[in-house]
This record gives sequence, C-alpha cells and structure tokens, in this order.
Amino acid sequence: MKTFRILLVALIVVIVVGWWYVTRIPSSPFDGVAQAPTFTLEEGEYVARAADCVACHSTEDGKPFAGGLEMGTPLGSIFATNITPDPVHGIGNYTLAQFDNAVRRGVLPDGTRIYPAMPYPSYAKLTDEDVAKLYDYFMHHVEPVAEPIPESDIPWPLSIRWPLEAWNVAFYRSGTYQPDPAQDDLWNRGAYLVQGAGHCGSCHTPRGFAIQERGYDEGDAAFLTGGLLDGWYAPPLRNGAVSGLGNWSEDEIAAFLRTGRNRHGVVFGSMMEAFNNSTAFMTDDDLQGIARYLASLPGESSNWEYDASTTDMLLAGDFAEGSGAEIYLQRCSYCHGRDGLGRGEFLPPLAGAASAVAPHADSAINLVLNGAGRVVSGGVPDSYRMPPFRIPLNDREIAEVLTFIRSAWGNDASAVTAEQVADLRERTDPMSDRVIVLQMR
Amino acid sequence: MSYTLTINGEPHEVDAAPETPLLWVLRDHLGMTGTKYGCGIAQCGACTVHIDGQALRSCNLPVDAVAGADIRTIEGLDQDGEHVLQKLWVEMNVAQCGYCQSGMLMAAARLLEDNPDPSDRDIDLRIDNICRCGTYPRVREAIHRAAEIMRG
Ligand code: FES
Ligand code: FES
Repeated sequence: MKTFRILLVALIVVIVVGWWYVTRIPSSPFDGVAQAPTFTLEEGEYVARAADCVACHSTEDGKPFAGGLEMGTPLGSIFATNITPDPVHGIGNYTLAQFDNAVRRGVLPDGTRIYPAMPYPSYAKLTDEDVAKLYDYFMHHVEPVAEPIPESDIPWPLSIRWPLEAWNVAFYRSGTYQPDPAQDDLWNRGAYLVQGAGHCGSCHTPRGFAIQERGYDEGDAAFLTGGLLDGWYAPPLRNGAVSGLGNWSEDEIAAFLRTGRNRHGVVFGSMMEAFNNSTAFMTDDDLQGIARYLASLPGESSNWEYDASTTDMLLAGDFAEGSGAEIYLQRCSYCHGRDGLGRGEFLPPLAGAASAVAPHADSAINLVLNGAGRVVSGGVPDSYRMPPFRIPLNDREIAEVLTFIRSAWGNDASAVTAEQVADLRERTDPMSDRVIVLQMR
Repeated sequence: MSYTLTINGEPHEVDAAPETPLLWVLRDHLGMTGTKYGCGIAQCGACTVHIDGQALRSCNLPVDAVAGADIRTIEGLDQDGEHVLQKLWVEMNVAQCGYCQSGMLMAAARLLEDNPDPSDRDIDLRIDNICRCGTYPRVREAIHRAAEIMRG
C-alpha cells in the first residue's frame, strides 16, 4: 500500500512536471524588453528575404504574409498562418519575446507548440539581432491583413499539440549559430545563412522517421546530402562531382543563386521559388559566403566521364523507332543539344548533370511532365523555359526518354518505369484526389 | 553585347543581349523574316535554320551560343529561290497556308545533304516539323522526288 502511494505521488509529480514542461513558455533573451529596437525597412526585409518567409506564409493570389497556404503533414493538412501585424488574425499583439519564441523555438504565446513544418529548428540559429530585425519588419513594414486562415483538418486527438514537445526534446537543438574560429568570415557568414535563415536543409537534407531533418550542420554526415520531398528530389549541396556541386566553382554557385542559372544548370521546381523569392535578393557577399561554405562540404566522388558515342549514335540515326533516343532527338535535342551539352548558361546540359543522374528520378519526371516555371532575374522573366510534356508524351514515352538521358553521354543512373511516371502524373494533377499537398516550399 | 554573325556567308553586326534567341535577331534586328515564329519552345520547327550543318530551331538558340557559327537561313537556301526543293514545292503545290514551309524546306534540304536516298522513316524522323494544314504527305512526296532529281 505504501509503495502504491509512493508510486501514485511519483506519477502525479511526473504528470504535473511533464505537463508544465510541454506547455511552458520558454525563456527568450528578449524577456522583459519593453521597447523593441527599430531598423530600416531594408534591414528587416533582407532577413525576411533570406528566410523566405513569404514562400509559405502567402498564397499565390493572396496578400503578402496573410498565410493560408495548405501544407501536408503525416497527420493531415495544416495552413500557414497569417503573420501580418493584424491584432486579431495576425501577430499584431506579439511582443518581441513572443515573436522570438515562435520563430526560434516553435512556441506560440499561449504555449501551443508549432508543427515543425515551420523550420524553427533552422531559425533557432538566427542571431538576436536578425530576430529583432524580422520583428520590426513584420510589425512596422508589412500591411496588416484582417483575414483568418482555414482550419486544419487534422482530427482530434491527433490535433493535440503538446506531444510535439517530445519531438523537440528528441530533435530540436537550441542555440544561435556559433562561428567556427578555424574558418574565415566569409565561410562563417555562409554557414550561418545556409543553416539558419536559408533553411536549405528543409529540402536538401534527407528526413528521418519523424520527418526530422537528419542533420542541421556540417557536423552531421547526412546534412545536405539530398532529399526527396513533394515530388521533387533536392540534390546534395555538397562537394560531390556530378551528384552535387563538385564541378561548380564558388563563383558558379554564387551566380546560380544570383541569376538563377550557370553553365551547369537552371533553377526549377521548388528551387525556382526559393530563387525568385529569396536568393535573387541577396547581396553578392552573402552569396559568395554561401558558395564558400557549400564548396567546403565533402561529397561523394564520381568517375563520370563524357562519352561522345551517344552523340554519334544520335547523329547517325542509329536507334529503334519509338525509342528513348528518337524521342530525345525530336523533343529535347533542339535545346539540350545532340551532344547533351546544352547552350552555354541559357539551356542546361544533361550530360553529367546532377538532375540527370540523381538516384531518384522524381525531379526529372516532374519537370518533363509539368515543365518549368518562370525564373525572374533582375525583374526580367527568362527567355528559355522547359515546356510541359504532360499532353504530348505518354507515360511510356516519358519513361523511355528519361531512361535514355539517364544512361547517355556517360550518365549512369537507373531506368525510369512507366509506373513511376504514371504515379507522378496523377499526383501532380490538380484534379486528382491524390494530388501532392506540399510539405515545404 | 555586340556580335558578328555569319549568315548565308555574309558577316552581320548585331547588338543584342546574350540570351536573345537567334530567331529574334534574324527577324527583328536584321529584318530577315523568312524564318517564322510558331511556338517559341523548339517544338514546331517553323524557325528551323542551319547551324554548322545541322538543322536547328532558332527560337531556342541564344545568340551567344551561335556567335562564330556558320548560319544558313531560308533566304540563303538559294540566291534566286531556285533550289530543287523550292521549285518542286511550287510545282507539286506542297504548301497550303505556307507558314510552316520555310522550316520544312530547311529541314528537308539538310536531310538531302546528309542522305541522298531517304526512306519514309528517315523523312518522318528528320522532318519532325509541325504543319497545321497537314501537308505531310505532299512534303514527303516532294522530298522523294527531289532526291531522285538530285541523284540524277
Ligand atoms: S518557333 Fe521554333 S520550333 Fe516553333
Ligand atoms: S502549310 Fe500551313 S502550316 Fe504548314
């Protein structure tokens, strides 16, 4: 009986302490700060650009930062929130400390835990100053929008939020970015942007069983080694030749982020949005820093070598009717070249291109089916854009031509099946009931 | 950027942004409007020209990528419009509205230079231009006839 009572008391203590823990408001360095510092519009906007807040917290036709974008989680759909300074529907009543807890800790003012679809585990690295700049920007330079967002369709009891704190205990690492004294300032600035505001790992780091990113900095082997998400494969951002950025110079990495293209490739898919909304607005110094940092991450080696026999075969017309080579010649070669080398920086090569040799063909299939979106550089839309082949080519033809490309000019990637194409065709069809609800943008 | 392009054997000076499609340089900068604009995405072939001996689609060729190349357009197929194919095109009434035909002619001319006796399949493979009027059978017939004449 006595042991029972002790156990009961212990249990109650555990429950009370546990409950306190999973619902408590974390402390913030801004606790008790009565007067938040102010900054210029440009200073705050720059951090918001670097963090690409607009990507999720706006819809295509909606007002900036009014939220409402549907996002998929394993439990159901949630909707990105209104982060305009409207006091009722937005964050107009937030103090700087409350804002900080939401951005860097994933906790709302009432203690509700935010789903980690919001990349707060990355934003945790932001400096106090950048958080204050963001706060000033949203409070004073964004138009308030008095619009509610739709209700999440996650049913009770899955909709209970406090268990998310267990996720935090397991995966969340607190602490702002700490510069590595062994590296130069440029590298450290790049590391800060990549790991923090840029939250590059949200797409480019593979996720584990609880959809956590399997690494948040260069100390983790899986960090930026490529991830499959939402029907796109985000390639490794490490220094691996062919698979990643190994063949890119630092200047070329920076140019890719500044203009959306270089002689190795053009932004597409989710990266096109990240470019249009974020990296295109960053300073040259910051982009050079990102380039320096990414180029320093060791990657996989490759023995890819250009093989011209594919080009000769195409020129000689030496292939079967209806084959992938024939489809390539008629549909793709006018832009990507019979030699697979593209046209300078304007039309990307396929020979030895990361997108053509990726372990998952999802991006390539998605791109052929749906074409590329509009890349806007310096306010000017691009001149050359991948058209959608959803209608002109059937599943078998797309599988054939991609299988051809993935094994041409020395490329050595797996074949693509018609079933894979059929699956993505359906999941990227807005009329389908299996359409992908984006988890990340 | 300023470029010197060799078109139909003549040098031409143009000042254009490096990404400008060759098609627009030809039509807008140089007034050579024989080359047509159909789709702009390299799928129809109306804009076909020869670049270093290959029939390519000028709507998707950045001018920067063809500086220094030997460019031939429909204007240069024959000085007087008397290329075997052009004569046959008239004789055999190949064209309907005609919009796609300068591209057809350029693709056909290139095919015959590479292959003096093309089969139907060779023609289908290399003349993958789109014709809204559906002149495909007449194009094919005229190419066979031209091949015969050219073989002598
Ligand atoms: S206009 Fe160039 S292929 Fe259609
Ligand atoms: S003749 Fe009219 S489009 Fe070909």
